[in-house]
Amino acid sequence: MSDHLSPSILNSLADGELTDSQRAIADAHLAECPSCTSSALFQSLLKSATAQAGQRHQLPPQFAERLVRSAQQENPPSRVSLQPAKKLALAGWATAFALLLICATIFVVQRSANQSAIVAAQNAALVTEACDQHVATLAANLPPQVLSSDRHTVKPWFQGKLPFSFNLPESLPADTKLVGANLTYLHNQPAALLLYSIGKHRVSVFISQNTSAAISAGISAEQAGFHVAGFSTNDLHAVAVSDADPARLSSLVAAIEQAQTSPQKSLP
Amino acid sequence: MTLLPWKRVVQPGGPQTSVFQDLALPLLPALYNVAFWLSRNAVDAEDLVQETYLKALRGFGSFEPGSNFKAWIFRILRNTYLTSRTGLAARKTVALEDELGNAGDQGAALHPEAAIDRQTPEMNLIALGDRAALHAAMEQLPPPLLEVVLLCDVEELKYKEIAAILDVPIGTVMSRIARARAALRRSLAASNITHKGFRA
Repeated sequence: MSDHLSPSILNSLADGELTDSQRAIADAHLAECPSCTSSALFQSLLKSATAQAGQRHQLPPQFAERLVRSAQQENPPSRVSLQPAKKLALAGWATAFALLLICATIFVVQRSANQSAIVAAQNAALVTEACDQHVATLAANLPPQVLSSDRHTVKPWFQGKLPFSFNLPESLPADTKLVGANLTYLHNQPAALLLYSIGKHRVSVFISQNTSAAISAGISAEQAGFHVAGFSTNDLHAVAVSDADPARLSSLVAAIEQAQTSPQKSLP
Repeated sequence: MTLLPWKRVVQPGGPQTSVFQDLALPLLPALYNVAFWLSRNAVDAEDLVQETYLKALRGFGSFEPGSNFKAWIFRILRNTYLTSRTGLAARKTVALEDELGNAGDQGAALHPEAAIDRQTPEMNLIALGDRAALHAAMEQLPPPLLEVVLLCDVEELKYKEIAAILDVPIGTVMSRIARARAALRRSLAASNITHKGFRA
């Protein structure tokens, strides 16, 4: 009987890394050597058991979504062609220019399609997150961080807490009043959560900095029975959520929007 | 690092991002699993995968179309791990010397019976599927040996691909696999003896 199979041969056998000729020699040896057969079997069992035991840690739920969202804030560099200079030299300038035009057209078309898909997806995500926070605020039933119906109390409370400022409307629609406000985060950005009531209906108005051109200027949607309305200015982005009558919600949103554009009286 | 991360302007990715996502997202569970094994905790594993993903996205322009994307992104994961806090700590405590040399056969010639233990009491353990004993044995492996086991057995990568990921010759891969499996066998055998001792 020839010498026993070496560790590397046994490992390569288990890993399927032997060449045909090496495999034939190993098979011939295994046919007459119980010791190596036992070792080869053990190697296979060990590999199989390790493969199963190694798949131990599960990806946390939502991790992929969070990762994609954070990656969207990155600016991927455009692809650099790695064609060798020699090949480029062979191509005529006219052909290159024509190809460039075609590529540019395709890129613009795809980018435009992507842009609309991104805007729709971001709007949907914003509406969902705003509704979730609205429901969570209602469920918590906690007093607001700043409990006041006075806009001159609520607005200054955000000084130093937000990297932007906003105005609160001086006059509100009938039966609508300011209840208070919280500091919150919406779409990975710090935001002011203004709490209003329209009759007995609670309204959450999120005001955040407008850093994304992708978010559409106006939002009007229904989500899980809630009405959602919003507006965007050059600097701010607002989303309001409530189960109140859509027309009354729109009136409140319009009042807040008007307050951002019209000159305000100086605060005491 | 900026103090106001929300000040970053959001710039939606182009078609390349979509292609990258199609290739990378299915590999996230595998990347996370290997990252967790190497970093040994969930928080570091998430950081490691996130950094790997972003690095790969930024460097996707240098990826050669048609080549092995899985090997490419695992190489980024591995390099990121080496420069991470846990990776640096592991490198300080583990001196990797290929005691068997770059060719497993040389080592086998020197220590033929030590490299392959032909008395395999631990075989019973594996046959019984003692997952806990295997986990413990794998956790005891030093990172350079653990990573070859994960890449070879769990991710089913070929020696050539593993060599490219680790940036070592194929002989070193084979040597590390031999050492890793020998170490697993020893740990399982010790575990088996302990179990029998308790039962006795």
